[in-house]
Amino acid sequence: MNKKKAVSPAIKTTVWLLWAYFLGCMLAMGQTSHTISGTITDKSNGETLFGASVFLTGTTIGGVTNEYGFYSITAPEGEYVLNISYMGFNDVNIKINLNQDIKRDVEIAEFSTELQEVVVTADEPERAILRKPEMSVVKMNVGTIKQTPVVLGEVDVLKSLQLLPGVTNNGEGTGGFHVRGGAQDQNLVLLDEAIIYNTSHMFGFFSVFNADAIKDVKLYKGGIPARFGGRVSSVLDIRQKDGNSKNFALTGGIGIISSRLTAEGPVFGDKGSFLVAGRRSYVDLILKAARENNSVTFYDLNLKTNYSINRNNKLFLSGYFGRDAFDFGGLFDNSYGNASGNLRWNHIFNDRLFSNLSAIASRYDYDLRFDQDEFEWVSSITNYNLKYDLKYYLNDTFSLDFGANGIYYDFDPGQVRPTAPTSPVNPLSLDQKRALESGLYINAEHKLTDKLTAQYGLRYSAFSRLGGQPITEYVNGQPVVYNADLGIYERGEAIGETDFAKSEAIETFGNFEPRVSLAYLLNEDSSIKAGFSRAAQYIHLLSNTSSVTPLDVWTPSGPFIKPQLSNQYALGYFRNFLDKEYSLEVEAYYKTVDNRIDYIDGSELIGQNTIETEILNGEMRAYGLELLLRKNEGDLTGWIAYTLSKSEQRTLGGSAGGPGINNGDWYNAFFDRTHDVSISGSYKWDDQWSFGANLVFQTGRPVTYPNGQYQYEDLSIASYAPRNSDRLPAYHRVDASVTFKPRKYQNKRFKGEWVLSVYNLYHRKNAASISFGQNLETGANEATRTAIFGIVPSLTYNFKF
Amino acid sequence: MKTLTRITIVLFIAYFASCTDVVDVEVQNGPERLVVEASIDWEKGTNGRVQTIRLRKSTPFFDEDNIIDVTGALVTVTNDSSGETYDFVDQNNGEYRTTSFEPVMGQSYSLRIEYNGEVYTAQETMTPVTDITDVFQDREDGFDEELLEVHIVFTDPETEGDNYLFKFQRQGDLLPDLEYAEDEFVNGNEIDWWYEIEDEEDIPPFEAGDVVDIEMYGISRAYYDYIKILIDQLGGVGIFETTPVSVKGNVINETNPDNYAFGYFRLTEVVRTSYIFVEDE
Repeated sequence: MNKKKAVSPAIKTTVWLLWAYFLGCMLAMGQTSHTISGTITDKSNGETLFGASVFLTGTTIGGVTNEYGFYSITAPEGEYVLNISYMGFNDVNIKINLNQDIKRDVEIAEFSTELQEVVVTADEPERAILRKPEMSVVKMNVGTIKQTPVVLGEVDVLKSLQLLPGVTNNGEGTGGFHVRGGAQDQNLVLLDEAIIYNTSHMFGFFSVFNADAIKDVKLYKGGIPARFGGRVSSVLDIRQKDGNSKNFALTGGIGIISSRLTAEGPVFGDKGSFLVAGRRSYVDLILKAARENNSVTFYDLNLKTNYSINRNNKLFLSGYFGRDAFDFGGLFDNSYGNASGNLRWNHIFNDRLFSNLSAIASRYDYDLRFDQDEFEWVSSITNYNLKYDLKYYLNDTFSLDFGANGIYYDFDPGQVRPTAPTSPVNPLSLDQKRALESGLYINAEHKLTDKLTAQYGLRYSAFSRLGGQPITEYVNGQPVVYNADLGIYERGEAIGETDFAKSEAIETFGNFEPRVSLAYLLNEDSSIKAGFSRAAQYIHLLSNTSSVTPLDVWTPSGPFIKPQLSNQYALGYFRNFLDKEYSLEVEAYYKTVDNRIDYIDGSELIGQNTIETEILNGEMRAYGLELLLRKNEGDLTGWIAYTLSKSEQRTLGGSAGGPGINNGDWYNAFFDRTHDVSISGSYKWDDQWSFGANLVFQTGRPVTYPNGQYQYEDLSIASYAPRNSDRLPAYHRVDASVTFKPRKYQNKRFKGEWVLSVYNLYHRKNAASISFGQNLETGANEATRTAIFGIVPSLTYNFKF
Repeated sequence: MKTLTRITIVLFIAYFASCTDVVDVEVQNGPERLVVEASIDWEKGTNGRVQTIRLRKSTPFFDEDNIIDVTGALVTVTNDSSGETYDFVDQNNGEYRTTSFEPVMGQSYSLRIEYNGEVYTAQETMTPVTDITDVFQDREDGFDEELLEVHIVFTDPETEGDNYLFKFQRQGDLLPDLEYAEDEFVNGNEIDWWYEIEDEEDIPPFEAGDVVDIEMYGISRAYYDYIKILIDQLGGVGIFETTPVSVKGNVINETNPDNYAFGYFRLTEVVRTSYIFVEDE
């Protein structure tokens, strides 16, 4: 294990450099400054607010609250007005005399609760943020998400995000999402910091996030902060509500597909709060009533509670549990789901140093039970994550994030277990895999001049594939070999196995991941930003289908699979105009990913113990231009989003020899979309009626069509064109919704609303796939289109009590 | 085991079956290729002397006139150990036939085709198959518990690495159905393999009086890898299935490798039977 030795000096050097840097910054601190710090919360329910802007009026000194609502501002001694603003909330101005360090917690109120007039709380979460170097970030609050018309009335975080530039799906009814031409497994999806491995219910018709339990959603499309690591494309950071700390409240909804109920309220006196949210679909009951043999159902449970030990110490406990269950007519059952838990300890060392320690566990598993053949197939991935993050607000121009984390993974790629002695199937267990991923980071936000702000940081990540399993050896070290005679890739010949003890590392990797971005303020209304980020990804989702399925398996890097490495460059222009009523964001990006797994023709991943015989290491590249014009205020709000992009991949033969997959040529990624347009708007007619609409247009998905046929075994066999060299017809649709809040049923306690939504208003049969085959009666070849949703009207009733 | 190999397909097709229609689509036109259907199938209990090889050409995907026979080729098969060569005589209808083939189990053979000034070759080994021990009908199993299915029972040999190709065809139906199996999870076990025609298809399910012809072939691993992709892609692939590929067989063009042939040179042992469905209950 020479590699391990080579890495340790690198770690030592990094640690040393970080300390030197940190100490250097400490010395640069000013002397006659004081700090004001505290927490910003929502007056109505005590929820902490993330991303609220806190400024000293008339200066450029200020910042935004962190994930826990905490802020800290350091400024020279003097009298100031502290201005706190957050979209959808009233501005608060507080006079302060900064002659000593001050602690000040502030509650701010939503427009709607202060004034009689009901302002649509779905105001855009933020205007273009000009001064912060943060770019390529999408933040959505739950209000906006709830306003978006959706299929079958199921409010859906992921579907709403897909209306923004740079985010697409892989067709209706498929799970997950794609960011800037990246694959689905390249997104790090976090729910209260816990990794969620599969974001879809019912194979992707709905997402696993119950909007009633969610506070906010932030998607990093690029410029990923150094505190995140492990995925090369994006980070989706979803935070659950803390629960109402003021009074007990019930929120719920009754829809066509599912119903949900959330209870929240204070607990431990005034020391804490809790939230319990449940959602269950009842498609199974409908199917049963229709005497249908098949059954499908899903449910979610979100839990959260927190306890303030004292002003400087707070504990949070959160959990998520969700599951889908399918029953196919007694033939077989399938169930899958995520479970996660997180215990956090917020500790404020002093008014400038904030810390959070998290202990997180999460797991994804599925099982398939075959009744006739009397066996079951189970698979899972489990991880335990210990994470310590600190933020140091050094002075008015400099703040520092730093921390470390370690994730231990257990991979169970699959086990076959006979469920009865009469089963014709033999028990089998694929090799269980283990790995340790660790990260160490430091990141500075540094105001260089009044106009120029920089964010620069470094993450060092390391990954050890742990022993406790054998590794197969192949002739010439080639798990895949090119057969030059037949022109195909074949599985290599195994010659033996090396056993690795549990204490041994099979292979170790380490990567430095620099992350840099700059913001330059052109004037009060516009700025330009530029960024570069590198990221490493050590675990990979194995999927050789055009859309991932819940049965796909994650696998760690190791002797045959190298970590994915991405470099992304981005440039953007941001502008607010017409008194900040409108904002414009334009970004261009270029991204490359090395070591992207690709699958040889005829690869077999189900029950595959030696994945290395099915794959080659390839690369990806993606580039694009994104444009977002938003109207942020008024009765009519919404946005126009346009993305022009390209995403391709290529896989050369490498050590396997031969030209590579698809003849070694670049080919379109499944999620390549040349044009992607979304227009989304909502209009408030009066305090009873409001309307929403979406328009979506996308270039068709790349697919592979036949380019010929021949007769064999009395059948017409299609021969296929090069990979993804055809496209489905363009995808487009319009959705609309009407929300009615009956005035006579509204009072201080009880609020109710009806939402009527119509998805795909003009009933376009958008092709999810087109498949080719022979008509069984005539024998003629034909093309068959599968469309998932035609026009889908739905009605939902939501209430708050 | 059949269920496992089919899970992805069933899981998702069952789900999306509701909304499909036939549409007009423009497709690309690939190069025209020689199609070699060199299936040397030795029926258990026969001498296997009469063997036929078919040569045709590929056509554009939607061409209705899709059978182009190839005549005037020189076709031979050679026993790689004895050197004995069997000439397959041009029947002028795309078929090339011999009546003197001598099959030897486990023996390697070579195919050679001379056509249009180009030489195509292939090599393959004669692969045995076990006996079918029982054939019966039932309703309990299958994708639909109410429909009739036919069962065949056989015992997989103790040795690992047995691969199977099944061909089912109801008499009167236009097209046969192909299925494949390997012994990876069921090595050495007695296997009950069923075949059912589902209700959603364009043709009716099995009923009493139907006769179904059944063939079970022992196939090499290389042919299994080939026919598996080919069968998986029959009827097209949906969104949750593997991207379709151009399947390459084992017939090499020695003169111009890029102009490879479609099809395969296989040598199998086959058991054939048929079953007549009867009224139950």
